[in-house]
Amino acid sequence: MRRPLDLLSKGGLGCLLALVAFALGSTVDLAGDPDAIVGPRLAPPGPEWWMGTDNLGRSMLPRVMEGVGTTLLLSCTAVLLTAAVSAAFGILAGYRGGYLNEVVLRLVEVLYSFPAIVLAVLVAAVLGPGQFAALASIVLVTIPLMTRLVRAAAVGVSQRDYVTAAVISGARLPRILGRHVLPNVAGTIAVQGTYALSVGISVEGGLSFLGFGVQPPQASLGVLIRQGGSYMIAAPWLIIGPGTVLVVAILAINVFGDGLRDRLEPRETRSLT
Amino acid sequence: MILELDQVTVTFSTGPPLRRRALHAMRDVSLHVGEGETLGLVGESGSGKTTTGRVALGLRRPTSGTVSFEGRPFGRRRRELAGRMQAVLQHPHWSLNPRMRVGRSVAEPLVVLGRAERGEVREMLEQVGLEAELADRYPHELSGGQRQRVSIARALITRPGFIVFDEAVSALDVSVQVQILNLIKDLQADFGFSALFISHDLGAVRYVADRIAVMRGGEVVETADTETFYTSPAHDYSKQLLRAL
Amino acid sequence: MSPLLVVDRLAVDYRANGRTVRALDGADLEVAAGETVGIVGESGSGKSTLGAAIGRLLPRTARVDGGVIRVAGESLFELAPADLRRVRRERLGFVFQDPIASLDPTMRVGRQLTLVLGRGTGSGDVAAHLDRVKLDARTARSYPHELSGGMAQRVAIAMAMAGEPELLVADEPTAALDSQVREEVLDVVFSLAATTGTGIIWLSHDLAAVARRCSRVAVMYGGRVVEQGPAAEVLGRPAHPYTAALAGSAPATAARGTRLEPVPGRPPMLTGPSDGCSFAPRCAFVIDRCAHERPPAVRVGDQDVLCHRAGEPATIGQGATT
Repeated sequence: MRRPLDLLSKGGLGCLLALVAFALGSTVDLAGDPDAIVGPRLAPPGPEWWMGTDNLGRSMLPRVMEGVGTTLLLSCTAVLLTAAVSAAFGILAGYRGGYLNEVVLRLVEVLYSFPAIVLAVLVAAVLGPGQFAALASIVLVTIPLMTRLVRAAAVGVSQRDYVTAAVISGARLPRILGRHVLPNVAGTIAVQGTYALSVGISVEGGLSFLGFGVQPPQASLGVLIRQGGSYMIAAPWLIIGPGTVLVVAILAINVFGDGLRDRLEPRETRSLT
Repeated sequence: MILELDQVTVTFSTGPPLRRRALHAMRDVSLHVGEGETLGLVGESGSGKTTTGRVALGLRRPTSGTVSFEGRPFGRRRRELAGRMQAVLQHPHWSLNPRMRVGRSVAEPLVVLGRAERGEVREMLEQVGLEAELADRYPHELSGGQRQRVSIARALITRPGFIVFDEAVSALDVSVQVQILNLIKDLQADFGFSALFISHDLGAVRYVADRIAVMRGGEVVETADTETFYTSPAHDYSKQLLRAL
Repeated sequence: MSPLLVVDRLAVDYRANGRTVRALDGADLEVAAGETVGIVGESGSGKSTLGAAIGRLLPRTARVDGGVIRVAGESLFELAPADLRRVRRERLGFVFQDPIASLDPTMRVGRQLTLVLGRGTGSGDVAAHLDRVKLDARTARSYPHELSGGMAQRVAIAMAMAGEPELLVADEPTAALDSQVREEVLDVVFSLAATTGTGIIWLSHDLAAVARRCSRVAVMYGGRVVEQGPAAEVLGRPAHPYTAALAGSAPATAARGTRLEPVPGRPPMLTGPSDGCSFAPRCAFVIDRCAHERPPAVRVGDQDVLCHRAGEPATIGQGATT
């Protein structure tokens, strides 16, 4: 029943854990102070500054470490919020159906109809640029898909005989939802959570790149890429470092998510046996 | 009379908006189940037998007609029936919550009623021919037949007066089907519950039921003692079912 | 002339999570051209694996652990991919349990049939093939989800029979259908096969139903064919204790007021080759040999039986209470 993760998704998970460790390093200034000026401006990677220095002479390595941390923390917080909201509404709408279901579905469709970055910029325009805008954007961008999928899973679970048996036994709504529906859609929530995390990272990157998200001097992957963009020809390492980390993070999360999905939501494969 | 359906009609509306059509899942169905009796209900998919089961369990309100349980019409709230009426449902694969240990599933009807569980679960598992140790297992560690026995234990734990078996053996292997059917007969002798046994399989229904009702297209086309269904049912459709055995 | 299909001591394992499950444990079967054979077994008996193996359609977790399958003399497991496709195309047809799932939901029925029939097919040809399974030509314009289960299964049959295969493998083709539709679909399959001379392997759990339609019956248990022979003989005078138990355990066979005594226990889950007879733990006629000596095929009357006590008077005809 429980199969282990395949090698690829194990690699993804390892990569992700390495990035988290990498980010944690910045909290103890493992590679030095991210704001300290340590050398010449725009120096290429060398033994003292492995990822080069930026336009102010700050070492890029600790800045990328801080940036990964900011981005991951922001995205994870947002995804947890998304998961909580989506689980609540998705499960209730899926189990109850009827009017509530229609309202939830229509709301989700409205949100879904905005392209992610347009929605994010809109949120930033209303809330003003900053971390909070980035957080809210990620939540709003990831909620529609997660709610829809949780709802769909909840509809399926609600029709299963053990839920009917609980209703016949006289179980009340909180028990049915909490004991029977939630544990059986938890897999969907976890899998969609990983995908939402990668969406969150790219939304943060995009928003901060446009200047509406995390504000300097605090580093995030988006902020670093934005700053590096101005020196793309003269000092490409400014953008290659954080860019690579961004790509690796998203790739690792998606690969891990695929493995998680295969394990938690094995599709009813039509085998010939 | 433990359960009585009087002129029950259930209408669904289907189809897209503006072109809704009324679909009669049940049309003037009158049935009764006596004390300690098993009423068999035979019909194919779409005959309305599943809807009849849901109406008998109070899960669906009839569009018209009345349903009474133990002489009193159903109340407004489903919970009033809790514990006095149980069901064993079709699919052994989905009859138990895969995330719950078997023992907790069996105990659930008691817990819901606010009663403490004092060894009844183990006792009941043994009653249905399982080892008490299975209480600590998860459903996926059990075979289909074992899972259906667990469902029966869960249904019996509140000592209900009436149990609905909806296609309770259809998904099981032939040699296991008879084991479960025998178990149902034995438990009925011990516990004295009344039952509504719903199935598409006349053979299985005939084996456990005292009387049989045949449904087709939402209507009961024939009701007679089981004896009749071994020899000469009156309705053409019943004859056809008998021939198909 | 050699038989159309020969399955000889076929053994197949499934491996997942480091666990091995043996689905076939030395199954033998022969089907002559144009013959109708019912393969009867409960879940886990290996019948579906056998059906899939005949087209070399086993899932990736399966591993053939010995034995051969020959279709018209060609050894299936030694064929190059192109030859395998040719054998599948020219000699074999398959029909599965869930008719709607076996059709492509995005394509109209007519187009799917055209694909099977090959290039240069006109709408008249499609209509002719639909007519053979007693479907109206208008069905060609439908999508699979618009069809009833019975209609979808007829379309699947039309597609499987389009190439006039020599052997049609049908895995519980009517399990998802109502009894009336079931008979109609079976009528279509068997009459169509009779006109084209196609042999049928019908996999089912219902011994009585299979025996009504097929000329021969093979009973599977624990990954082996434990008894095979003419349908009437196997049903009426079962020579293997398991067949007898199976024949006597259908509720429909019970006379009024009698209590059936089913075989205790449940079918085995093999993890490797069975040491003896896999039915031994449930068998009423078990002797010492059964546990550690694999029973060889014995001829009893017209049946081939895998049982150490086959042919002894005590074991014959038990349970055939009808």
